[in-house]
Amino acid sequence: MLKTFLVFSLCMVCIGGTSAAESEREPFDDRYCTTCHGTDGRGNEGVQAPRLAGMEPWYLRRQLENFRADIRGVHAEDREGTAMRPMATKLTDESIDDIIDWISSWDYIPAEATIKGGDPLRGRGLYGGCAVCHGANATGNQSLGAPALAGQNDWYLVTQLKNFLAGYRGAHPDDTYGAQMRTMVSTLRNEAGILNVVSYINLLSR
Amino acid sequence: MPPLEVGVSKQVTRREFLNLLGAAGGTAAALKAGSALGLLPHTAQAATLDLRAANPAKRKVAILGAGLSGLTVAYELSKVGYECTILESSHRPGGRVFTVRHGDLIDEIGNRQYCEFDDEPHMYFNAGAARIPSTHRNLLAYCKELEIDLEVFINENKTSFMQDPALNGGKPIRNIDYTTHTRGFLAELLAKSLSAGEMDQPFTDSEAETLMSLIRSFGDLNEDNLYKGSLRAGYASGGFLEHGVQKDIIAMSELLKTQMGSRFLNASEGDTGPMLFQAVGGMDKIIEGFTNHVGHQIHYRSMVNAVEVKDDGIDIAYDQDGTHHLLQADFCFNCIPSHIMTGITNNFPTQYVDALKYIRRGTAYKSAFQAKERFWEKEDIYGGISWMSNPSKQIWYPSAGMHKQKGIILGAYDYIDGKLHTAMTQEQRIEAHLTDGEKIHPNYRNQVEKPITIAWHRMNHMLGCSARWQRDSDGWTHEEEELYRVLQQPVNGRHYMIGDQVSMHSAWQESAVMSAQWALADFDQRLQA
Repeated sequence: MLKTFLVFSLCMVCIGGTSAAESEREPFDDRYCTTCHGTDGRGNEGVQAPRLAGMEPWYLRRQLENFRADIRGVHAEDREGTAMRPMATKLTDESIDDIIDWISSWDYIPAEATIKGGDPLRGRGLYGGCAVCHGANATGNQSLGAPALAGQNDWYLVTQLKNFLAGYRGAHPDDTYGAQMRTMVSTLRNEAGILNVVSYINLLSR
Repeated sequence: MPPLEVGVSKQVTRREFLNLLGAAGGTAAALKAGSALGLLPHTAQAATLDLRAANPAKRKVAILGAGLSGLTVAYELSKVGYECTILESSHRPGGRVFTVRHGDLIDEIGNRQYCEFDDEPHMYFNAGAARIPSTHRNLLAYCKELEIDLEVFINENKTSFMQDPALNGGKPIRNIDYTTHTRGFLAELLAKSLSAGEMDQPFTDSEAETLMSLIRSFGDLNEDNLYKGSLRAGYASGGFLEHGVQKDIIAMSELLKTQMGSRFLNASEGDTGPMLFQAVGGMDKIIEGFTNHVGHQIHYRSMVNAVEVKDDGIDIAYDQDGTHHLLQADFCFNCIPSHIMTGITNNFPTQYVDALKYIRRGTAYKSAFQAKERFWEKEDIYGGISWMSNPSKQIWYPSAGMHKQKGIILGAYDYIDGKLHTAMTQEQRIEAHLTDGEKIHPNYRNQVEKPITIAWHRMNHMLGCSARWQRDSDGWTHEEEELYRVLQQPVNGRHYMIGDQVSMHSAWQESAVMSAQWALADFDQRLQA
């Protein structure tokens, strides 16, 4: 009888042990952003992850949803976009809400200028076309779906403009705003134009 | 693996070539010549740190990252009375020394997995560091000091396979077939050139004779200096109770159909040449050896937000449990990956930041399966690596747990890039490895289960494999070397970057240990100054 009891007890321990191990598994959530995007989402050039702090909630949502729906970050030449897309693929609506709340808790501090070789005077002329949507001071315009550009990492703006120009971003049929950007960015014509316009945006502040 | 120094620094004369050939054969005379040319290292000895006891007024040390280099610093400084605090952003110590077992979280961003391997001591996978060369003496010295059991790691196994659709109609051939026949044909070619008098002129008759005998033995040539196959490749049948029957030769023209040979023949040379070791029970036993001493100093899930180097100390801002914290220390040793450090607020000098930004993060990808039975042992394979020309590249058979029911095998290792598999969903990755593995083991799909995959450049808190300093495969540029030296030096004598990233030979545990030891020695010297 005692033996039976012992065996039974041991079995209970085994079962208990297994379920305890399950509950000991390291939990996780979807708050990964700062690993790539840096302290308080201020951007990290080292992994080419842009500034999230100060990004408008509606713009963040649209981009996260675009990444999740394979609208952005699918072109093989879009290196940074293809790195981002899998991060967004598994996000639930609740996770996206949570991430946007989290990001809005970070202080916005404008990024430092890093790019060299652009001519802001020429850029100013080119920026006229951008100002229609993004505003004269590049502070963005929600009603037109255009995010702020001022204060964003300049290397990120350069990469994205290049991607729009080359069709690596904005070519998906469901990327309505991306398609507009592709049309507009053609006026910048080439890398020199892109550097000029971004070096002008670097002079603007929000 | 870079070639012997003599090969890159100056033209090798024929006589030196002979000496090198002789060295391969192990003759005493050639060894002496090798030594004179600086080919042989001095007697192996691990570095000994002789650190001064901490000054009680300046003994607070912040260590950022519980990777191997951070733990080395914590261990050494704790010995001499420093008060160390280790901030680790993830839930585990060890960084890229990562052994995956039952229930472990693989925190790849966008592809999180829990490992479902059976919960048994031999059922583990070294997803990061996996091999310890016998020349990595500083790491080995810690293994000895920390009483970590080691066993031999089998890198090359003559019975393992190589597979390429271009070779042998896609049917895998054994390592031993490829190497025996290739050596035979190469030797025959060499013997022909030697007999044609093209090479013997600088040699004495006796040297030429020795050389010829070496060549003959290298390739197992017959008395006419021709390669007609060799029993070294094993028997087609018999060999024990009956006469052994020699296997058919695979023609040189057939062997030349694969491009894999150049990779295959040097796969077990240099750092990955014998003798290699692994820690018994998983490479993270080494980490455990350190954490047995300094584990209580580690604050897990503590993400550094800012590093401010000041005249009188160093401030580290970090988040833990959703709260901001400030750690004030006298000194800081930092093994946060350079590409993550660039996103953390700091007041480092411009040149130092430039150096951090210069390093490119490595990409690498591994996958593993639990095998329901050790099917490779039925094919005479015990440990070692099979090579494939397809993107999964390699299958590693475990070096331990022989004859147990199950085992963990590596199902893919892309050490160069890994982007192809990284871009896939978990299901696509696994399907790709099953399809690739089936080329070698036809029933592979049914023999393996419980897969895990790991893209190192997507791992939370790491975002990269080993640091890549060189833009060009030709070697370090002057600019690169300057940046490296900048990063090696402390900021304000207080902040050291460490880890295999601050070495000229990243990706090895030895480099992490040596980087930590270099920083500690420099630190100690500065304090004495």
